[in-house]
Parts: sequence; C-alpha cells; structure tokens
Amino acid sequence: MKRGKHLKAALFFLFMILFVWESPLFPQERFRKSPPNPEPLSSLKLPAIDSFTLTNGLALSVIQQDNLPVISLKMIIFAGESHSPEKLPGLATLTANMLSRGISYLSFSKIEERIESFGGNFSVTIYPDYTLLSFTFLEDYLEEGIKLLSRMLLQPTFLRREIVNVKRSMYYDLIREYEDPEFVAKRQLHRLLFSGHNYIKSTYNEDVIKNLSQKDIVSFFQKYYRPNNAHLVLTGNLNLPTASRKVSRHFRNWRRRELKHTFVPPPNPNTKLRICLVDIRGTSDAWIYMGNVISTMARQEIFPLLVLNQVLGGTRISRLFMNLRESKEYAYWAFSEVAPFKNFNVFFVKAKVRTEVTHSSIMEILAETKKITEKKIPSFEIEQAKSFLIGNFPLDIQTFDTLSAAVSEIKALNLGEEYWEKYYDNIMLINSEKAFEMAKTYPLLDPVVVIVGDSSKILDHIIHEFAEIEIYNSKGILRQKFTKGEIK
Amino acid sequence: MTEHSGIKKGFIALTLFLYILAGILPSQTQEKKEPPFPFSEYQLSNGLKVIISEDNSLPLVSVVVAYNVGSIYEQAGKFGLAHLLEILMFQGSENVSPMQHISLVDKVGGVLNATTTDDKTIFQQTVSSNQLGRILWLESDRMRSLQITQSNVEQAKGTILEEIRRRKATEPYRASFLLFDRLLYPDTPPYIHPVIGEEANIRNITADDVKKFYSDFYIPNNAVLSIAGNIDKNKAISEVRKYFETIPKGKEPSPIPLPEDSKKTSIIVPITDPLAPSPGFYLGFEIAPPSSNDFYALKIIEYILLHGKTSRLHNRLIKKNGTAIYFNGNIETKKNLARLKIFVINNNEIMAGRSKRAIFSEINKLRSRKISAEELIKAKNMFKMDYINQYATSLGKALLLAETFLSKKSLDALSTELDKYLAVTPFSIIRVTNNYLIKGRIILEIKIR
Repeated sequence: MKRGKHLKAALFFLFMILFVWESPLFPQERFRKSPPNPEPLSSLKLPAIDSFTLTNGLALSVIQQDNLPVISLKMIIFAGESHSPEKLPGLATLTANMLSRGISYLSFSKIEERIESFGGNFSVTIYPDYTLLSFTFLEDYLEEGIKLLSRMLLQPTFLRREIVNVKRSMYYDLIREYEDPEFVAKRQLHRLLFSGHNYIKSTYNEDVIKNLSQKDIVSFFQKYYRPNNAHLVLTGNLNLPTASRKVSRHFRNWRRRELKHTFVPPPNPNTKLRICLVDIRGTSDAWIYMGNVISTMARQEIFPLLVLNQVLGGTRISRLFMNLRESKEYAYWAFSEVAPFKNFNVFFVKAKVRTEVTHSSIMEILAETKKITEKKIPSFEIEQAKSFLIGNFPLDIQTFDTLSAAVSEIKALNLGEEYWEKYYDNIMLINSEKAFEMAKTYPLLDPVVVIVGDSSKILDHIIHEFAEIEIYNSKGILRQKFTKGEIK
Repeated sequence: MTEHSGIKKGFIALTLFLYILAGILPSQTQEKKEPPFPFSEYQLSNGLKVIISEDNSLPLVSVVVAYNVGSIYEQAGKFGLAHLLEILMFQGSENVSPMQHISLVDKVGGVLNATTTDDKTIFQQTVSSNQLGRILWLESDRMRSLQITQSNVEQAKGTILEEIRRRKATEPYRASFLLFDRLLYPDTPPYIHPVIGEEANIRNITADDVKKFYSDFYIPNNAVLSIAGNIDKNKAISEVRKYFETIPKGKEPSPIPLPEDSKKTSIIVPITDPLAPSPGFYLGFEIAPPSSNDFYALKIIEYILLHGKTSRLHNRLIKKNGTAIYFNGNIETKKNLARLKIFVINNNEIMAGRSKRAIFSEINKLRSRKISAEELIKAKNMFKMDYINQYATSLGKALLLAETFLSKKSLDALSTELDKYLAVTPFSIIRVTNNYLIKGRIILEIKIR
C-alpha cells in the first residue's frame, strides 16, 4: 500500500516534469533572450614575410606556410596597361598573355599539359599599374614549377601563329565582356576619369588589338620584363634560404637592364557633376557607376577612407543599401568601393536600379554622400564599420593564393609594410572626428556619373533633371549632348 | 645434390615466409594514418553530432549546421518545401528578429550562405573567432524555435515564385536541363523535380506543411554541427552544449526509400528549347554509387575526360575538331545514385552530331587502350589539388566534415580517402569504363526554334 503510494507520487512527479518540460509555459533559459557579448578580439598574427634580392635585382618575398602541400608563386612585373605605348593600348595585356604560349623547348599545348600535370593553374592579370603572373601547383613539383615560370620569362618564343590566337581570344573576350552592363559602366567611368592621362590606355576597345605586332611585343617585353623590374612572392612550406637557392638557380640568368620609372602624377579629380548615359538597347534596368579620383593621399589617409566607404556603402547594412533598396525600393543593390591605384584611389558608388527611378536614385546617392561630408557620423556607426573591416580582413587571406595576392598588391602599389602589419591598429584609430575631417577633403560631391541602360527608356526620366547629359555608345564614343532637353 | 636441393627448397620456403611476413607485418605495425587535418567528434544527448577542428592560423571561425534533408524528402504535391524552409530560416525565431541573423553576421564582417540540395540543407557562416558564441546562439535559436507564420510563408512563396518566373523567362537551356534530369534519374518522383520546386506545388504549400517539415527534419538528431577555426575545442564544445543540448530530440525521421538504379536502356530524346541560342545536347550515364569502390576510378575518369584545358574532350571538341563552342561535365550524386553528365553547345546540328561521335570515340579509346602513366598522373594531380583545396579554408574544413558525416561515411575514412583515388590503376580505368560508360546512356538533343 505504502509502496503503491510512493509509486503514484513518483509517477505524478515524473508526469509534472514532462508536462512542464513540453509546455510552452516552460520558460526558456535566460541566455537565449539576447545575443551573447563577443569575447575580446583575438590578435591577428600575420605570417612573416621574409625577403631577399638576387644579384640581378629580382626581389623575393617568402611566406612560409606548412598546412597544405601547395605552392603559390606570384610574379609581379612593375608594368601594366598604363605602360603600353600611347598608340598601342592593349600591348601590356597581349605581352603577358603570350608568356605561356610557347618557350624555346615547349609548345603552348605542352606547357598547358605540364601545368596541369603539376596539379597546377596558371593565369595572368593585367592592372593599369602592374602585371601579375599567378602559378599555383602541388609542392611535389616545386623545382619544376619554378623552372617552368622562369622559362616563360627568360625564353618566350612569341610565335606569330600564337600571337594571332591570343589576339583573337582578346578580341572575343572583350566583345563578350561588353555584353555585361557592369563592365561597360566601370570601363566608361575609368575612361572619363582618366581622360588625358596614362591610365586611359587600360580602357581600350577591341578595335586596337589588330594594331599590335610581334615587334611591339618583343620591344615591350625587353623593356619591362627585367628582374630589377619584378618581384616574386612565394607561399608554401619552405624557408627563405631554400626558396632563395631554388629561385636563384632558375632566375640568375635573367639579365637586368636599367629602367627609369618616372613618377606619374595622379589624374586630376573631376570638379563638376557630370552625367553620362551609355546606351545599351534592350536592357530593362539601369546601372549607375559614379565616382571620382581621390588624389592627394598619404598612406595613413587610406584608413579613414575605408571606414567612410564602409558606412556609406560597404555592405548590405550600409546607408546606401538600406536607403535605396530597403527603404525606397529603388535598387536591386547599391554599394560603394575604394579601388586602389599607385599614388591614388578611385572612390565609386555602384547601383542597379529600376529605370524609372534612375534620377531619384542618383539624387539619393548624392544626398547620402553629402551627408557624410556635412555631418559627423555617429560613433556607433563608425564602430560598426570598424568592426566589419577588422572582422573581414582575414577572410581575404585564407588560402595561399589569396594571401600571396594580398602581399603582391601591397608590393605592387607600394602600400608599405605597415598597411599589412598595422591594419588593425590603424583602423582602430579612426573616430567620428577623423572620418569627418577626411570626408570634407574628398571630392565626393562632384563625381562623374555613368548610367548604363536603354536610353529610349531612361532618357525621358532624366532629361529635364540635369543641366547637361552626354550620351555615349558602349565603346565610349560620344554620340549626343543634351542641355535641358535640347540637342546641342 | 639432394642436400643442395633441400637447401634450395629451404631457401625458397624461407624467402616465401619472409615475403609473406613482409606483406603482413607492415600492415600490423603500420601507424594509423592521420586525417588531412585534426578534428574531434562529439554526440550530444539529444543526438546532435558535433565535429570540431582547431586551426589557429587566422582569427576566424566557420560554423556549419547541416540537416539531413533536401528536396528528395518532399511529399508529392509539395515540391519546393525544403528550399522554402531554407529561406524561412532567416525570417526570425523566438529571440531573433527577421533578418537579424544576416545583419549580425554582416556587422562583424562575416560571410554567410545557405544551400538546399536534393539530399541536404546547409547553413554556413565564417566570422571573427570571438563571435563563436553569437553564431551558436543564432543557429540554436532557429533550430529550436523557428517562427513560421502564414505571413512569412506567403512572403517566401512570393519570392520563390518570382524567381521561378525569372528563370523560366531568361535562363537558356533550363527547360532541357530539367527534362534531362527526369530522363536520367529513376521515375520515383522525389528524384526528378527541381530543388526550387514547381509553381503549382509552391502555391499549395501551407504554413502547417512548413511547420510539419520543420518539426520532422530540423531536429538535433537529424543534423550535424561542425566548427573549424581559431578556437579552443574544450571551450567550444562547452558553448555548444549550453546552446544546443536542451533542444528536444525529435522523432527519428523515417528513412526515405532509396530507389534501385533503373538500368535504363539507351535512349535519344529530342527537345525544342525556346530559349536556347544554339543547338547542343546532354549525354548522361548511370554509374556506380558513391559508396562503391568503382566510384574512385569513375572520378578519375571524370578528370581524364572533362577537367582542365588538356582533358581528352577539351582537346578533341574544342582544340582539335572545333565542333563544340562550349562543354562541361561532372559526376553528380544524389544519395545512393550517381550520374556522369556531359553538356555540349554547338554552332549547328551537324557539329552536334560530330561532337557526339567524338565523345563516344574517346570513351571507346578509354575502354580499349591502356592510359599512359603521364596522363593518369596528370588526372590524379588535378584531382588531388581540387581535393586539397576543399580544406584550404576554415569553411572548407567545416563543410567537408559535415558533408562526410551526412554521406554516412565514417569520418575516419578521411584519412585514407585521397589515397584511394590516387591508387586507381590503368586497368581499373579500362574495367570501369567497360562497366559503366557503354550501355544505358541517355541523350537529350536540344533543337533550337
């Protein structure tokens, strides 16, 4: 009897526990109510960069990493599209693309076979300031990989047959790229910002490719592809002495030649709002690219610009996105970016908007930009931007390839070691006052505005809104100018 | 003479004995091979599998929560439910407001993504390692208390329907791609509908359907949580326990019926694809399942035929004959099924015919001629690089661990997995080509209007 009573009590107790547990009335743990505070930020220990210079002037940076059996080589040639002769834009691109197209003892197809047999990948990227050859492969092929890269630089054959093939690829690649409104918008923005400057050469059209000859390639190659005009960044599981020995073995016969790099002053910033419409028939939306050159920039000044960019348009929670997309519903997306060049930056806003709100979108972007130059940004927004920049920085250097690419950019654009080493500290130093001081000095309110879309749909919405509108075709040829609705 | 012969016999016996011993002993004394990166496994009392990998190279952490559910788990008439639920996972839970998950990750410079496939749904984020607690808080809240309302379901349905309309109107080769899958996979309905769902089905989905799907599958005992990055594993598992262990275990989902392969005979089907700018074709083969030993050789065959600028088909179709303007291909797996798929675009139908013949000719060579050592090494090295790149980042590690677990392979298999691909021989290439790439091929010919 007594035992039964106990059993009943125990069952009742168990039932109550289960009932309460399953019941929505059961309170959740207190810690679930709000997000936990983050722990203190871990320090960022960037891998050491060890350096050495060969007797012929080739600089070598080695980043020793032992967690993957992979080697990443990045050869920087300090000559990009802005170094092409004035009448031969595209030459830097053609020359770089020819390097893997045949060497003294291997045809193009054999080079491709060899690269893939190393588990490798080879590519070239041509920037206005420099050219980057990227070669990643399995570490078992370290010796062969360095040797192959050295032969591409020391013994390229530049065969006419291959030149024809590369020119054909460049031609069709550009035609394909011109189908992308974003590509057209960015290229046109650069055309207008770099007008009359060396950098304009990086905005060439496919028509100029036919002008480039074997003689031009050889001449450009002999002038700029020199060890004293190059820098090799190597990431993998090897130390500086081993890397120096191996690199020296294969590159010591690369002959130096004196080359004077004259200082090229940055392009002048645009000083008056300029509206340019690039007509691509059949497009249903409008792409807006607007920006300006930020020319007077000491190394330390990049950090407030990065924070300002973050507040204005760095992410989906920045002001432009929240306003143009979330609040006004004008845009599919709206962001801003800082594009680094040697000795200057281009700050630009990009947005894809509905055609009928093109004008309103431009005005909102200008209003948001004006706000940061006229009113201090609240501290919480500055802190949020800093938090983003600091949190996001290591994401870009996770693989051997991206790590080498980041170091290459620092070397190529001469950003200085402290950009790398003191990134966290420099970002942390920015406050509302510093950001505001810098914002006032940037020519953000007089940008070049490029709109890409169907002019037959867009023009009606903007023609009465701006003092002057220039109409271009996608190749950057000026077709018409409108002044308050009148054809000039 | 007799003595000599005895010595000889004894010598042979001794040699044989040593030979056998040499064959056996190393395997007995050989140290267990280490996995490509270290990790620890845990199981919470509610069934949640947890895998943690410490990697202190950068102050980052990646968190992946993967649920063992995808579009093949949907009931007929409700296709698109799994993908719809993935969208709702960002629309708020008991303590997290709509889109707060995205916003919290964005604010700290992190990145996040979600994917629904035929057989799994994966949520992933990479943030500064000091934010681990916050990500666990977010993930646990949506695992235990997702807010599913009529209003947010209708909103998500609207977004998906708009996306389907856009794809239908603008994506070339979409219609043929969907038909090809229907031809290539068994007729069992869940295997042949697109993950995004079908318009009529999506309109049919109710908030109750979503709630049921959520409570059936989004439960700790049907999920894996993997964490990789700059963390202390003891501290991390303690945080995981705090946020996840009190989430009630759900009823074990009943396993979905896995169809036997259909053993289809070869067929050729024409289709007029209204959006296709050029003609082309799809070619597919039923191949050995991912769990089979033959799968390793099939994967290497994929690289020999299809990957890189010097693969056999790139050389033949693009460089040598110039009959194709584009092609791609790969092995696709859905649970226990695997298919080798090839897609080719041509300038005209004559070129399409030539491309087809060229592909069969290359397959015939593969089945009848021994591949050279150089070509096999090249294919294996390309595969090896891709395999290694899978775990080059903290996110890659977390994803590899979660996906290996969901594939029902033991995580210990990671120690030897790469070696199995690298051990493929020229003879296994011939045998496997003969077994899988000859019969049962499906061809879908795309005509243009």
